[in-house]
Amino acid sequence: MLEEGEKMQGNEKISAGQMGLLMYFAISASAVTVVPGITGKYAQNDLWLSPIWASLIGYVTVYIACRLHQLYPKQSIIQYSQTILGSFLGKVTSLFFIFFYLHLTGLIVRAYAEFVVGNFLTRTPISVVMISMVMVTALAVRGGVEVLGRTAQLFFFMFLIPVALMPTLLGSMKLQYLFPILEHGLKPTFLGAASPQAWFSEIFIMAYFLPLVSNQEKSMRAGMWSVFGTMMLLTIINVFILLVMGRQAGDFLYPVMVAFRYISVADFFQNLDSVVMGIWIIGLFQKISVFYYASVIGTSQLLGLRDYRPLVLPFGILVVIMGFWSIPDQLHVSAFDTFAFPFYGPLVQTVFPLLLLILAFWQKRGQASHAGRTALTDDTNS
Amino acid sequence: MKAKYMVLVFCSLLLGGCWDRTEINDLAIVTAAAIDNEEEQKIRLSIQVFIPRELTSGQGGTGNGGGELTTVYSGTGLNISDAMSKVQAKLSRKIFWGHCKVYLFGEEAAKQGMAEHIDFLVRHPGPRNRAYLYVTRGKAKEGLAIKTVLERSTAEALREFASLHIGMAVTLIDYRNMLKSESEAVAVPMIENGSKLQTPAQIQTKSILIGTAVFKKDKMIGHISPKVTRGLMWLRNEVTEAAITIQPPHVKGIVSVMPSRSRVTLDPVIKNGKWSLLVKVDTEGDVVENGTLLNLMNPDLLSIVQKAVRDDIQARITYSLGTLQKGLKVDVANFAGAFHRKYPKEWEQNKDQWEKIYPEVDVRSQINVKIRRPGLISAPAGVPQEDVIKE
Repeated sequence: MLEEGEKMQGNEKISAGQMGLLMYFAISASAVTVVPGITGKYAQNDLWLSPIWASLIGYVTVYIACRLHQLYPKQSIIQYSQTILGSFLGKVTSLFFIFFYLHLTGLIVRAYAEFVVGNFLTRTPISVVMISMVMVTALAVRGGVEVLGRTAQLFFFMFLIPVALMPTLLGSMKLQYLFPILEHGLKPTFLGAASPQAWFSEIFIMAYFLPLVSNQEKSMRAGMWSVFGTMMLLTIINVFILLVMGRQAGDFLYPVMVAFRYISVADFFQNLDSVVMGIWIIGLFQKISVFYYASVIGTSQLLGLRDYRPLVLPFGILVVIMGFWSIPDQLHVSAFDTFAFPFYGPLVQTVFPLLLLILAFWQKRGQASHAGRTALTDDTNS
Repeated sequence: MKAKYMVLVFCSLLLGGCWDRTEINDLAIVTAAAIDNEEEQKIRLSIQVFIPRELTSGQGGTGNGGGELTTVYSGTGLNISDAMSKVQAKLSRKIFWGHCKVYLFGEEAAKQGMAEHIDFLVRHPGPRNRAYLYVTRGKAKEGLAIKTVLERSTAEALREFASLHIGMAVTLIDYRNMLKSESEAVAVPMIENGSKLQTPAQIQTKSILIGTAVFKKDKMIGHISPKVTRGLMWLRNEVTEAAITIQPPHVKGIVSVMPSRSRVTLDPVIKNGKWSLLVKVDTEGDVVENGTLLNLMNPDLLSIVQKAVRDDIQARITYSLGTLQKGLKVDVANFAGAFHRKYPKEWEQNKDQWEKIYPEVDVRSQINVKIRRPGLISAPAGVPQEDVIKE
């Protein structure tokens, strides 16, 4: 107990690779369940192209997060937004970010619970599903960032099991569903990319983890790789469900689930949905703990606390409450994912940080030209 | 402190799982379901349920031999869910759809439209998309009473039929794919009226499969014979196992060839506003019976057989197109999809006209037959050596 308490958040370190894996989970875990269905609605049989467009915003976001971090190393967004915008505006911004992530964590927990209750535990009260997940993630978050990093390493290969199961459906796949490619031009694929790009912008959450990375020089590469990995995963999954289900992919809320339910090898290797479900719960556990961690650590930095751990349980309660307050039912989860989040997500997580970055560059340049003549110690590129 | 957390974690584990806990002996496992239309807009849902007692009685016990393994419950309602709750009221166990492999639809229900029923099967989390659909002549409920000699239940028998690919095999996903295809035409295999297949003697002589029910959108508009179905399966590239028996021209006797690998591609052409389609068939097979005097080791004689097989496949395709294209005018082979894939622009302009274009599409075929092996013996096996024609 003493050791735990003494371990300051500043002392904990993860590797760039671990951070990349965490980010990979943070985007893809929930994206694979719902995004193909939303994309399919717009892009029809070109749905496999949309993740490629959508990933572009992911690369941009990684770049922004890493540049901001280079300008203000050892600081998270909560801290440097106060440096950039001044104390008052900075605090308001930080508060906004904290609420954003708190709200988002609640939404993710709710969407996860909707998925579980809708598919499997139909009679279980949704609160039980939500609370049990938040409790487990609270433990991981209390364990600290090192624990998160290690679990990500452990779970990564498990998370690829569904991909390995895909060839079992080769017999039911029809290549002809791919054609005609780009029948209505690129526009439907762009529309289909609207929803996944919001997921890709979520990689901005790496801004909270960057100060904790031990091998800093590799963190941008790790971020780029996790965007690329997510893009590949989504593309593969979209091709897979398209070949199995054709144009009806967009009709289902969870098309990937439907496709995995369809697996039947030699009439006894079947009903694999529970296996796939279990693996997704692992992925969602990672995702929720990443978002949970970000909102907790953000708050502790805003309040200037030495340790974030006392905040974990109260925030857990808030997360569950957010999950209930923000959304009354499944329809609203879908509507939020389809119409609101494609604008809301990138606006907060890509456009706003971009503005911060521009401001920061401008400030640094101003400082450099002022101070540059008198002192050579200024480190613009640190 | 740590111990407290551990207790919490274990509690959450238990709570999460036990809410929806269902013991296997609380479940009525549905193996097949049948849906019929009744008077006054009602439908009848009949489910075939496993009797678990018979399974556990083991060797030499009481249940062997004549004991029934399944039983049928039924109830009426406004739609499937309504009927299901009526059925549930008659059952001491909870209806479990997860193992339902077969859905039967009565002819009348299919003609009135399957939209509602399909919606239930896809929407409800219980039923599996892998389940096979069948339309029965007469009432579907009687289909559940078909006595099977080899299998444990009707459901099992029908599922085996589907995996043999003797007739069409249509799962829920396939059904929806056909419905959502360009042609909006659906084909579902059809089985004989259950009341005609009650005794083992009847089953041993009559076949269960009697062709295919053809749907436009969700309503059944006709029935095609097994012969037309075979042609349709060629067009849909679904043929796997069926001997082709032919009489080579100018030769006495017949030869059977078993195609081992077949590939069918539809190659549409739009030229000067005229829509035509080339059916390309590539098939290879082995000779399985040779009733002629020809020694099929001779390539020249083999080519006579190959040509005869080619003509036979062509005749099958033409025959079934006669029914599908000129008679019923339904595009179950999805020519529309082939046109759409190759000519997206032309398709976009003409898709509303497809009903008119389809019967006019000029279908030609290009069939390539390769007989790879003569079977296990070279010369005709049942005749003296000197009678065999070698050249």
